[in-house]
Amino acid sequence: MNVLLVEDERALSHEVESFLASQGFNVDVAFNGKSASEKIYINNYDFILLDIGLPDYNGFDLLKEAREGGCDAAFIILTARSETDDKIHGLELGADDYLAKPFSLPELNARMQAIMRRKHGLTSNTVDIGGFVMDLNSRTVRYSANEVTLTKKEFDLLHYLALNRNRVLTRMQLTEHIWGDTMEDDYDSNFIDVHIKNLRKKLSAHGNIDWLETVRGIGYRLNL
Amino acid sequence: MKLQVKLAIYNALSKGIIFAAFGILLPILTEQVVYDHIDKRLVARTDRIMKIISRGGINEIILEQDCSFESYNIFKEEFVSITPLRNDMPPPETQISNEQVLVENEKLNHRVVKQAFVYDNQQYMLRIGEGLGTIEQLNKAVVQFSLTLMILFIVVSIFIDIGFARLMLRPFNRIVKQKLRLPKNPSMYVFQPVKTSTHEFRYLDDSINELMRKTRDAFLIEKEFIANVAHELLTPISILQNRFENMLVEHELSEQAEDKVMESLKTLKRLSKIIKALLMISKIENDQFLKQDSADLDTLIEDVCDELEDLIQEKQIVLVKSMEPVAPVTPVNRSLLFNMIFNLVNNAIRYNNIGGNIFIRGERVPDGYRLQIQDSGIGMDGSQINNIFDRFKRFNPSDDQGYGLGLPIVKTISDFHGFSISMDSKPMKGATVTILIPKSSFQ
Repeated sequence: MNVLLVEDERALSHEVESFLASQGFNVDVAFNGKSASEKIYINNYDFILLDIGLPDYNGFDLLKEAREGGCDAAFIILTARSETDDKIHGLELGADDYLAKPFSLPELNARMQAIMRRKHGLTSNTVDIGGFVMDLNSRTVRYSANEVTLTKKEFDLLHYLALNRNRVLTRMQLTEHIWGDTMEDDYDSNFIDVHIKNLRKKLSAHGNIDWLETVRGIGYRLNL
Repeated sequence: MKLQVKLAIYNALSKGIIFAAFGILLPILTEQVVYDHIDKRLVARTDRIMKIISRGGINEIILEQDCSFESYNIFKEEFVSITPLRNDMPPPETQISNEQVLVENEKLNHRVVKQAFVYDNQQYMLRIGEGLGTIEQLNKAVVQFSLTLMILFIVVSIFIDIGFARLMLRPFNRIVKQKLRLPKNPSMYVFQPVKTSTHEFRYLDDSINELMRKTRDAFLIEKEFIANVAHELLTPISILQNRFENMLVEHELSEQAEDKVMESLKTLKRLSKIIKALLMISKIENDQFLKQDSADLDTLIEDVCDELEDLIQEKQIVLVKSMEPVAPVTPVNRSLLFNMIFNLVNNAIRYNNIGGNIFIRGERVPDGYRLQIQDSGIGMDGSQINNIFDRFKRFNPSDDQGYGLGLPIVKTISDFHGFSISMDSKPMKGATVTILIPKSSFQ
C-alpha cells in the first residue's frame, strides 16, 4: 500500500510516517502543496493523507485538482482548523474521510482499514481472532457454530483492538474510538475496563481468550 | 403599538376633540350672533317709536278708550304694544329678553324689548317683539349643515392622514423589517440602502449600516481568530500526542518511563479537550453552526440512550422515559442537540448510584414543551448549582470535576436554540435538569 502524506508540520509528519511504516505502508512525504501536486501526478497512491492548511496551497484545491486529474487514491483530510463546514466541503469534493487533529494513530489506522474494506475490497468482511469470527457486515461474532451476543460498544471495541492487533491501545484511545468526542474527560473512569471485563466474560464462555492481554498501566492489546 | 397606528389614533383624537368643541360652541355662538342682530333692530325700532311719540304725541298710536295699543303683523312675527303703567311704581329698567307671547291662543317665542317712558305724566311700557320661530329654524339648519360638513371633512382628512403617514413611514418600516430583524449571522446582512427622502430615516439607515459593517468585521475577525487559535494550539498537541503514542509502542521503555508517558498523554488529552470545548462554545456563540435540521425529541433521546446503553446497564440504573408526543423541534442543529442531551444523560449516569433511577420526562406546558432529566444520584448544593453552567467558574482546582466543560457546552447549545435551562438539586437527593423549549420552536 502506497501512502502519500501531505503535511507541512515536519515533526508531525515524522511521527505519522514512522507509525504508518510500522504498519507496513510505503510512505511518501510532501511538505508543501506544490511537491504534493507533482508527486500525485507522477506516482500511484492508494492513500493520500492531506493536511488542509498548507502554506502554499489550499488543501481543497489540491484535492479537486487530483480528482480532476483522474487520481483515484483514497483521501483522508487531516486538519486542525475548526471550520465546521470544512468536513462537509471536503467530503463533497470527494474525500473519503476526515480526521480532526489531534487524532490518535490507531484511529488513523482504523479509518484507513475501513476505507480499504469499503473502497478497494482489499480486506475481507470477516475478522478471525483466535477462532472467534467477526462478521463486519452483520456485526455478529461467532465461535464455531455459536453466536456470541455483544453490545454495539463491545463489538466496536473488539473490532478496534483487532484492527490494531499486536499494538497496545491505551484506555484513552479506546474511549475516544467508541465514544468519540462526546464523552467528557473521564480518564480514570473504568468504563473501558468494565467493557473489557464484560467482553472477556462473554467470549471466554465459548473459547480461549488468552490473546486479549491487559498491559499494565497502559491499556489492552490483542496478540495474534 | 405601531407608529403608524399611533399617528392615526392621534389624528383622529385631536380632530375629534376639535369637532366636539366646535359642535358644542356652534349653536351657542350662532344664537348669540342672531340675538345681537335682533336686539340691534329692536333697539332701533324702539328709538323710532320714541321719536314718533315725541314728535306727534302718543295719541297717534293709542286708541283713546283703553289707553293702550297692540299691533301684530300678519304672520304674528312682530308686534308692538304700549300699555300704561301705574304711576306710583318706580319705572322698570329697559330690558331685552325672550318671552313666550300668547297670540290668538298660540304661544310663540319672541325676542322682546321692554322700555318704560313717561308721557303726559303717565308712565307707559313699550314692548316691541320679534318672533324667533323662523330664526330658530334657520339657526338649526345652519348648525346641522355645518356639523355634517365638519364630520365629512374630518373623516376624509383622517383617511388622508393615514395614507400619508403610511407613505411617509414606508422607508422606516423597511428599515425595521430589513435591517433590524437581523439574520443571526452578520455576514448575511444586506447593506443596500433603503430608499427615502426623509433626512432622519436616511441617517438612521446609514447609522445602522455603519454599525453592522463594524459588527460584521468584528465577527469575521473573531471567526478567523478562532480558526487560527485552533490551528496554532492543536497542531503542537497533535505532534506531542503522536510522538508519545509511538514511544509507547516502539521503544522498550522502563515501567517508570511508560507511566510518565501515559501521564503526559492524559495531560495532553485534557488540554486538547479543554481547547476543543472552548472552541466549540466560541463557535456556537459566534453562530458558526447551522440550524437547518428538525429533530424529533423522542427519537433523539432514544438514540442517546442507545449510545449509553452499556453504561446504564453497568450501573444497573433503571431508566424510565415518558414523553408526551410533540411535533419535531425546528430549526435546530441536530448534532448539537444530540451532544446536549448526551451530556445531560451521561451526567445523570455518571453521578448516579449503583441501582439508581433516571427519569426522562417530556410534557406540553403553556409556554411550549418541558423536558426534564432527573437522576437519583449524589446531587450538589446550592453554591455549586449557581456555577454549574458557567464556563469560567468551572476551572476550580479544588473541585475534582473542575475541568468538565460539559454543562457550559450544554448551556451554550441551549441558548443557541433559544431554550432555557435550569438545574435543581440537593446533596444526596439527585439532580433535575429542566429544559424549556419555547412554542416558537415547534412551527
